[in-house]
Amino acid sequence: MLRLIATIRKEWLLLRRDKAGLTLLFAMPLVLITVMALIQDAPFKDYQEVKFDILTVDNDQGRLGRYIREGLGASGQFNVIDSFGQQPLTEEKAQSLIAEGAYKISITIPKGATAEIVSNANKIVNDISKRMGLASQLPVKAVVADSLAVQLYFDPASKKAFKSAIQQALDNFLTQVQTDLLLERIQMQLKSKDSAAAQDTFPAIKLKAVGLKETGVGAGKQIDVISNSVQHNVPAWSIFAMFFIVIPIAGNMIREREDGSLVRMKLIPGNYGSILSGKLLFFVGICVVQFYLMMLVGIYILPMLGLPRLQLGGDHAAGLLTAASIGVTATAYGILIGTLFKTPNQALNFGAISIVILSAIGGIWIPLEIMPDTMQKIGRLSPLSWGLDAINDIYLRNGNVGYILPDIARLLGCGAIMLAIAAIVEQRRIG
Amino acid sequence: MNSIAVNDLHKTYAGALTPSLRGLSFSFPEGKIAGLLGPNGAGKTTTISILCGLVKQDAGKVRIFDIPQEAGRREQIKRVVGIVPQQIALFPQLTALENLVYFGNLYGFKGKALKDKVMGHLEAFGLEKAANKEVGRFSGGMKRRTNIIAAILHEPELLVLDEPTAGVDVQSRSMILQFLREYNAKGNSVLYTSHLLEEAQQICEDVAIMDEGKLVVQGSPADLINGLDDCRNLEDVFLHYTGHAVRD
Repeated sequence: MLRLIATIRKEWLLLRRDKAGLTLLFAMPLVLITVMALIQDAPFKDYQEVKFDILTVDNDQGRLGRYIREGLGASGQFNVIDSFGQQPLTEEKAQSLIAEGAYKISITIPKGATAEIVSNANKIVNDISKRMGLASQLPVKAVVADSLAVQLYFDPASKKAFKSAIQQALDNFLTQVQTDLLLERIQMQLKSKDSAAAQDTFPAIKLKAVGLKETGVGAGKQIDVISNSVQHNVPAWSIFAMFFIVIPIAGNMIREREDGSLVRMKLIPGNYGSILSGKLLFFVGICVVQFYLMMLVGIYILPMLGLPRLQLGGDHAAGLLTAASIGVTATAYGILIGTLFKTPNQALNFGAISIVILSAIGGIWIPLEIMPDTMQKIGRLSPLSWGLDAINDIYLRNGNVGYILPDIARLLGCGAIMLAIAAIVEQRRIG
Repeated sequence: MNSIAVNDLHKTYAGALTPSLRGLSFSFPEGKIAGLLGPNGAGKTTTISILCGLVKQDAGKVRIFDIPQEAGRREQIKRVVGIVPQQIALFPQLTALENLVYFGNLYGFKGKALKDKVMGHLEAFGLEKAANKEVGRFSGGMKRRTNIIAAILHEPELLVLDEPTAGVDVQSRSMILQFLREYNAKGNSVLYTSHLLEEAQQICEDVAIMDEGKLVVQGSPADLINGLDDCRNLEDVFLHYTGHAVRD
């Protein structure tokens, strides 16, 4: 125990005097998560919180145009713009604004669109009435317009998913208008048949017999945390920064080998494992402190910069266990690199580049779910993805210790394997 | 009893074209200051590394105070041997006091007793005023002296020093050699390697000259010098046995 405590104290003294190391371990990660959360805020908001300006040219001036304008406005995702420079917006102007990239979407409701829908609804009602032996009374247009359509214009740089979401929303409004008008016509026809009934007692036709309701599942059903820029970036880049501890650890180990202090430690009776354990414990402690400092930034600093506040989930013991497990894996990786490589330059370059690769494939930069299938399979082999999965389970799904055990087992298992390889390599050096 | 007994030691490092040791044998009686001398590449550092268990020999036997240097007995040997490596095996960012307290802790010493012991040694080596100075800022001589203190914290019966006076000034060298005499006077054994043959001649009671991984000659400096007609000092003896060709 004395050897272990002495080693922890020694590592603390060494780190305290290493200003560059302290900056790398604490200051740079704090800047990194702040910058990453800020610059990735807009892409995260794209489909969740940002309101898009939508140019609307209403050549119809009927119910369809009104429905579309009201529907888009009520969705909370769009600002409907139907005038430009205090003039009603024309289709030509809207097209030029889109082409310039000033706006992303424009819709043009064609003249006579509502009349066409009404005529179509009347035709259906007349047809039904005729089949039921009732007199057909509703007016129908003599000539049916060819391919009358609500015209959409998108900025060519718009993403496919964005275009698809807009098209789906507009399609819903069109269906809604056509259904409403049809029901209204049916109701009118029924009323005219039963003119004796009082208007206010006439039963309304209810279209939505079955609706949609969202309910949470699993351990996290009581909380509702949206995966926003802060919720993804703070834990993700914190894990990335924690893994960067391999650089001071590998440097520290190679320096000890080069300056002979490793030889001195090995010449002293007693198990070298206790010295290594002290080193491991110290750096795991540093990782945990790093992690919670970065979480504090997510909770207190980022909201001051206009970003959402980081939610830590309900099980803080699970969070601590995950942070410590990530720390064990990162420290073990540092020890392995420090053992395998002979010079600090080799170790530092390999360490830094390998962490960037492991983080890229492990879903730190962009969520794993949006990567191609093969990359997802490869990414799930990265220890950084196990750490991020566990953190997401706790913070987003309100998981507990039981929920994250598979990821914790992977992290600790991986750390144990790396330490075993380092021990074998070190043992072979004596031979 | 011998402090060190080496018998038919062989060692070839992985990937090396030539063996470092080819049947090296020597022994030194306990309680003496012995010198292991040889030109560059003779195999001195390999021999010391095997003596302290840092490198495993391919063949041959090593006994320290009759304890065989083999798996299961190495801890016992570490307790009686103190090694002063050629490198300054200290943490340059830590002060002398912090370094020595850490190594003392690793030996199992702690508290005031350890601090007093460390301060005593620092004083003996003229380093008490530099106790709280980072070792990285020390002069070469101060580093060498601190390096020696780290090896004697557990008061070993055998002190092995690899080039302990390399790159130090005259005063530091004098202090180190005086310390070795005093340490030996307490009944401890000392094994010492050096390129400085005049120094070896001054303090060693027994020297083994080795070259190309083998023992060339062993004896007291006086006997070795007197045994050869044309030799006036240990350097002449050394050149007689190892030749004048430059070694890399």
